[in-house]
Amino acid sequence: MRLPRFFTKKRGHRRTDSHAWGSFAEGLFYALLVGAGVVFGLLLVTGAVTYAPADPDSVVLQRGYEWWMWLLTLLMPVALLAFGGSGLVRVVRTWGKSQEHRAAASRTVILEGLAGPSAGAASRPAIPSCDNLENSPGIVLRYRLPLESPENWSLVGFGLFALLWNAVVVVLAVGVGADLIGGTTDWLLIGLLVPFVVVGVVGVALFVRSLVLSTSVGPTHVEISDHPLVPGRRYDVRLGQGGAHLFRSIDLGLEMEETATFRQGTDTRTQRIVVRRVPVSGWQLVQPVPGGIFEARVPLTIPADAMHSFSSENNAVQWRIVVRAQPDRWPEFIRVFPVVVIPVKAAGAGAFPESVEAMG
Amino acid sequence: MNAADSHAGTAYGPAGSTPPFPRMELRFGHPGRRYEPGEWVTAEYTIDGLNGERPRALERSALWYTEGKGEEDLGVHFFERFLTPETIDRVVPEGTFALQLPPSPLSYEGVIVKIRWCIRLRIFFESGRDHVSEHVFTVGRVPPSILP
Repeated sequence: MRLPRFFTKKRGHRRTDSHAWGSFAEGLFYALLVGAGVVFGLLLVTGAVTYAPADPDSVVLQRGYEWWMWLLTLLMPVALLAFGGSGLVRVVRTWGKSQEHRAAASRTVILEGLAGPSAGAASRPAIPSCDNLENSPGIVLRYRLPLESPENWSLVGFGLFALLWNAVVVVLAVGVGADLIGGTTDWLLIGLLVPFVVVGVVGVALFVRSLVLSTSVGPTHVEISDHPLVPGRRYDVRLGQGGAHLFRSIDLGLEMEETATFRQGTDTRTQRIVVRRVPVSGWQLVQPVPGGIFEARVPLTIPADAMHSFSSENNAVQWRIVVRAQPDRWPEFIRVFPVVVIPVKAAGAGAFPESVEAMG
Repeated sequence: MNAADSHAGTAYGPAGSTPPFPRMELRFGHPGRRYEPGEWVTAEYTIDGLNGERPRALERSALWYTEGKGEEDLGVHFFERFLTPETIDRVVPEGTFALQLPPSPLSYEGVIVKIRWCIRLRIFFESGRDHVSEHVFTVGRVPPSILP
């Protein structure tokens, strides 16, 4: 028998040494947590007993809490029991099972748990669902695609930061004001308030700038003649760009992006990288009609050798229609409209046969 | 303990008194190991070098898994587990099986995401050790991605 090595390479869930020893150590860890929870719980429930050596005839019993104190004191042992117990059950359930066996078993449970999986999802494994992309009809074409704009998240982020930071500034300012009204001057507090006010003003300025940028250039709409998309097929795309300004350029393109989520130490990181760009159309010096929008209808052909959209727990391949515009007096903006590309064989395919069996 | 060999390569194991790991060879119906989605995959395999050691179970599976920068994801499409002596005698030391591939995912050689399909044979012994053999094949004809 080979003894376990204590220092082995480990990255995320990947193990390079014995799975049996790893599972044993994991189980031991969770069992210790359960044991600690039981010991703490028993000590708290039975109460503490103290003994004074100077007075050996007297023993002090400390017992009895208010109900909220019970809740508070039992929080730690209950958390230990829940965490350790669930981990222990998981280790026992997966003990001795291969990676494939565990994955097959979990998939069977998922399939049994679905009362009525949609035909599309069942016939296209590992391809993301199209439901959220096909629930909005277009004005001219069949579907209006939803916008996934990073600018909107920046706007929300700046707004939240400005709100929370300036709430702190107000609390500090009220303290300083109360001191001044009372006739005392706390120079330390005033000195602390000044940089806080500066950061608060900058936060508000960034939020207002983002708000102006996102609203001044006008909305972008993209409609498409069919969805999901199939490699080699041609679709119609309708672009609508609002705004009263001159656009030096507007470019419409198709992009494929790979996304990988991985762990570095205790951090979980996600890397995105665009691996394919397909220009669709471009316009120069666009001036939308006052009160109206710039409209264009162009053909879009998915490359015949395109990889389909793919989604799993930690990895993804995503396709999106991207609009890049350069307004005359504003910074360039990018608006992203996700789409799903399916393999040719999956277009119109029924449920596929799958097999998970245990023989004898 | 477990050990693995891939692409029907050579078996290996720790030196010493432990019996050597068996050699598991698998032959695909297509010599090029390239299949289209929805196509049937047929495979014949042989397991040599058992040295009289009794298998406790055999697992045959077809699955895809991811490689690259992200954590590994895995999806099992086909899984069979043989447990009793009668069923094991039917599939050890040689056997054949067939499965129909799903329409997705296709094999993919991306920059930070790669998708591979494989057949795995995993044999468990009475002694508690197990040995896995992995045989990669290709589904579809998606060209590798390169940075634009």
